[in-house]
Amino acid sequence: MRLLTRISIYYLCLSTIVLGIAGILLYIFLRNEISREMEEQLEMQLDMVASELQGGRKISYPLVDIRSGEEILMRLPKVFKDTLLYDHLQKETEGYYYFEESKKINHKPYRIRVMTTYIGWENYARTITYMFLLIATLLVALGTLINYFMNRSIWKPFLINLRRMQGYSVSSREELQLARTRTTEFQEMNTVLSDLAARGKREYTALKEFTENASHEIQTPLSILKTRLETISQVPLDSAVIRPLADAKQAVNRLSKVNKGLLLLAKLENDAFQDKRQINLRATIIHNYSLMEDVFEHKGIKVNQQLSDYSVFASQTLMDILVSNLMTNMISHAPADAAASICLNAIQLVFSNEGPPLTFDAARLFSRFGKGIPGYKGNGLGLSIVKQICQVNGWIVEYTYKEHRHTFDIRFKE
Amino acid sequence: MKLLFVEDEPILVEEMNSYFSSQGFVCEQAISFSQAAQKIHNYRYDIVILDITLPDGTGMELISGIREKDIETGILILSAKNSLNDKIDSLNLGADDYLTKPFYIEELSARVNALYRRKILKGSQNIHFDAFTIEPFSKKLSYKKQEIGLTRKEFEMLMYFLVNKERVVSKSAIAEHLWGDHFDQQDNFDTVYVHMKNLRKKLSSASGKDYIRTVYGMGYKFSC
Repeated sequence: MRLLTRISIYYLCLSTIVLGIAGILLYIFLRNEISREMEEQLEMQLDMVASELQGGRKISYPLVDIRSGEEILMRLPKVFKDTLLYDHLQKETEGYYYFEESKKINHKPYRIRVMTTYIGWENYARTITYMFLLIATLLVALGTLINYFMNRSIWKPFLINLRRMQGYSVSSREELQLARTRTTEFQEMNTVLSDLAARGKREYTALKEFTENASHEIQTPLSILKTRLETISQVPLDSAVIRPLADAKQAVNRLSKVNKGLLLLAKLENDAFQDKRQINLRATIIHNYSLMEDVFEHKGIKVNQQLSDYSVFASQTLMDILVSNLMTNMISHAPADAAASICLNAIQLVFSNEGPPLTFDAARLFSRFGKGIPGYKGNGLGLSIVKQICQVNGWIVEYTYKEHRHTFDIRFKE
Repeated sequence: MKLLFVEDEPILVEEMNSYFSSQGFVCEQAISFSQAAQKIHNYRYDIVILDITLPDGTGMELISGIREKDIETGILILSAKNSLNDKIDSLNLGADDYLTKPFYIEELSARVNALYRRKILKGSQNIHFDAFTIEPFSKKLSYKKQEIGLTRKEFEMLMYFLVNKERVVSKSAIAEHLWGDHFDQQDNFDTVYVHMKNLRKKLSSASGKDYIRTVYGMGYKFSC
């Protein structure tokens, strides 16, 4: 739930409770006050009736009841009470309030009762309720509105910074720029975030430098090995030396491939490929295929291509590596004269080729150095690089084997 | 043609020096940033081969100095880092080509020669050997004015052999040149052989002479 919604809900609950209590109290006090006024009025009315009686005038009033009687009447107490009367006009019983008192007028005991109606008790209650509901609604609506606008201005820097943090990557070259704020808590948070970002960036740079330095340290000796071995190859050699020399050269080659592959994986994990732009995947596939066409032909692999014009937002380097790795995989593992296909549309990119089933668990296919096929000469990183590139782009790559066909299916995000 | 190697690893300098000297280049070397800066300031070179990581500075900072001195000088970056940013940065600064360590000296030679043809000769000069003529720009080969049809890979292979003539070139070096180093070349060796065989056949049927020799277990050697 959004913060503003939450605050508004709390505010609404609080307002309802406060207004409810205020309404009830108001009703009770008002009722007491009115009761007292009515009692005063009735007492006065009774007093007036008594003085009329004293003057010997005849009293005939519907809401006044006068009884004369024995001395015993004088013992009855003063009584204030509720009663119900039937209203012929409105055809309903209505609440009335009466006051009875015994009085001695001209030495004769009288019991006098005067009555008055509750002047629309329910109307009072209803009006109060309506008034309070109206006040509550106004308070909540206006309050929420004010809250909303105030919060928007208070939370604005926070929301801006949140967006910036979302778009921030320690691998990017830009520093983290946070919007200024006058709220102390946000200022503190900005300081903490800036520190965190700076620390992350420092550590990332250190890691990157370490990876690059390590690779540098390995690449230079490898260069020496490579060039020296080629130089040795230039002199006429004894046949006993040729084989070990060829093996050594091949090993150096593999070592440099593995080193490059591992370096690439490290960079992919750091998301170090920032050269993203719109890449025409169809053109990329056609270009890489034209490079490898002779090898496919030589192995007799017939590649059926169904490529629609589709562009992705990605790094050109990575797309070249992705496509060439999948093609190399095809060339390495498809038997001679196999049929293969490459399909590209807006949903997926599919590489598939005929071939015998895997001799190992398919789950190991994408793991590093996970093949363990005797005689396999690859560097064991090709498909894990494919998987990592897909991950970086938020795509899903899946392998299936059906009807003698190996299929790699890359699904672009919707 | 005058080359300058800026590289702090003495064995690599020695290798490059001996290779390019034997190919008829005039070679000089600098093993540090300061030495390189001084040489670039004092002399003119056709091509500078520049290592990015030097003990007392980065080769990156030398690029603009070379460019200021002479716009025609070819600059080839040699880097162990294989970092995309380095590549983009150096090309933006004015470098002409970029090669990642570990490299084959034959590949470096192919790059240097291509750069030389492109920058210094402006791609106009034809290459001759025996009675063959190569037009590098239009990628055509002819024998006594009779054009010989070559596939793109065969043409690239011929060019590669020509800049590395009289030298045993390994199959994996050729494969890396023909298909780039994204590809695992172990599977392409047969294809290298097929291209070599076709090229050899086309050259010998025109001239009656076999230029490519197979060196057992090592690779091929082109002589003319």
